Amino acid sequence: MERIYEIQMGIEELARRALETGTVGGVAALLEVPETNKIAFTLVRAPEDVKGLAPFSPWMLENAARSISQMTREAAFTQPVAVILRPCELRALRELVKLKQVNMTNLILISFDCPGVFPIGSRLNGNGDLPAAYEKAVLEGTNCPGIRQVCSACEEFVPRGADMVISLVGRSPTDTLRAAFPTEAGQKFAEALGLLAEGREVEAGEERDRLAGIRADEHNALSARIQGSLKDLDGLVSVFDRCISCHACRYVCPVCYCKDCFFESPAFSYYPHSLHKRLEQSAAGLRLPLDRLLFHLGRLTHMGASCVACGMCEDVCVAGIPVSQIFKTVGGDIQQMFDYLPGGSPDDPLPLLTYREDELKEMED
Amino acid sequence: MSGKRKKIVAFLCNWCTYTAADLAGTSRLKYEPDIRILRVMCSSRVDPVFILKALMDGADGVLVGGCELGDCHYQRGNYYARRKVAVAKKIAADMGLDPERIRLSWISASDGPRFAEVVNEFTREIEEKGDTPVKHEAYV
Ligand code: SF4
Ligand code: SF4
Ligand code: SF4
Ligand code: FES
Repeated sequence: MERIYEIQMGIEELARRALETGTVGGVAALLEVPETNKIAFTLVRAPEDVKGLAPFSPWMLENAARSISQMTREAAFTQPVAVILRPCELRALRELVKLKQVNMTNLILISFDCPGVFPIGSRLNGNGDLPAAYEKAVLEGTNCPGIRQVCSACEEFVPRGADMVISLVGRSPTDTLRAAFPTEAGQKFAEALGLLAEGREVEAGEERDRLAGIRADEHNALSARIQGSLKDLDGLVSVFDRCISCHACRYVCPVCYCKDCFFESPAFSYYPHSLHKRLEQSAAGLRLPLDRLLFHLGRLTHMGASCVACGMCEDVCVAGIPVSQIFKTVGGDIQQMFDYLPGGSPDDPLPLLTYREDELKEMED
Repeated sequence: MSGKRKKIVAFLCNWCTYTAADLAGTSRLKYEPDIRILRVMCSSRVDPVFILKALMDGADGVLVGGCELGDCHYQRGNYYARRKVAVAKKIAADMGLDPERIRLSWISASDGPRFAEVVNEFTREIEEKGDTPVKHEAYV
């Protein structure tokens, strides 16, 4: 059973104390500047800069696993850095370790049970005020209307593999923190900050379980909806017909880490004579650019097994295609086939880099 | 066989199924001529994207052929190939394509007759299914 402690401080104070005591050399988290309505994932190094730290802010401007990857891929941090991530960011991070895109040395992983985020657009076009409905939903353990569809249907909202797990669902953002420290690194971190001595052990609320139930139902509904819309070629074409091949969905995807995407490689640039030949041979004519739909099918073969259903791709799709709902559904099926959870156990190899001798008989002949 | 010929793309591993195809030829075995053979060094070279690309470009069927399990020239390649085909089939099924248009067969180098049999069987199945709807769709 996880032990949850009530800590007499908020997140800003926790970060300040971690920096002041030298327990960490930096804190990486979402930071808000209310005067300018700016918000960004930031690496804070000085205790006085923790003002505005807003890891629970219900917006995700990027899946921050990408930033951590950029900061550690070639060289690990030389001193401890606390990173505060949402569960799907943390899973992406742990998936990126397997893809050799992150060095976890010196990272202290802080996460929280996640009530979900709103689409980015609502922040960029709105005023950044926390909707009252959101606070209420977090307090009660329900889905706030208007959050990303994949958030509403997210059953992985309790972080895995974090050193410190903050209980957010069932709490108000202004409450003092409640947290568990499931790992050795987490225990050390808590001890260094004196959190366990000052803290008081508390019971987990039932709000998290309530939310889990709601999310499970929503997940089923989402899968059924997506499957229904993609049941034949007509469905596939009508869903992706609006795609303008901008590939923004893969640019923002945390697990699409490739510097040179295969689908932008010369493999897909055709010489005029081959294009002409295709046109001649095609009964139906061809819509350009070619391979528009193949991009999505192919991207699924590359990273469907690793999709953490974070929702970034759908948020940036200018054509309004439910990309992340599709990737969650199809990726989830691939993951299920291989009994694999992206960002789950570090000991599970990537599904396409391993096999079992006695499996998948139904795929042969 | 009646009607218009179908288009079946076959990715065959150099060491087994391709050799079996060769043998079927030199043994003058008859098999349906709807297949277009591409030789790969090992079935594990068949990227699932190849399979889906063939389907999206209007292939009526895709056959992946490799050595019997345990006999892969590179020892374990066909176990990986099986996972890759599984991924292609799952994506096809979920995205509105017909996964039964993808077939994976293990045919050893000495088994020319089995090669002819698999090709005939698969061709028949594909004929029963008819033309892939992709052929008549411009918006792919
Ligand atoms: S972001 Fe949308 S429009 Fe752009 S490639 Fe992805 S699905 Fe297509
Ligand atoms: S495919 Fe979309 S939902 Fe899945 S990990 Fe990438 S950005 Fe997130
Ligand atoms: S689609 Fe494939 S090649 Fe392109 S970035 Fe994603 S994983 Fe890499
Ligand atoms: S060489 Fe034939 S399957 Fe690997």
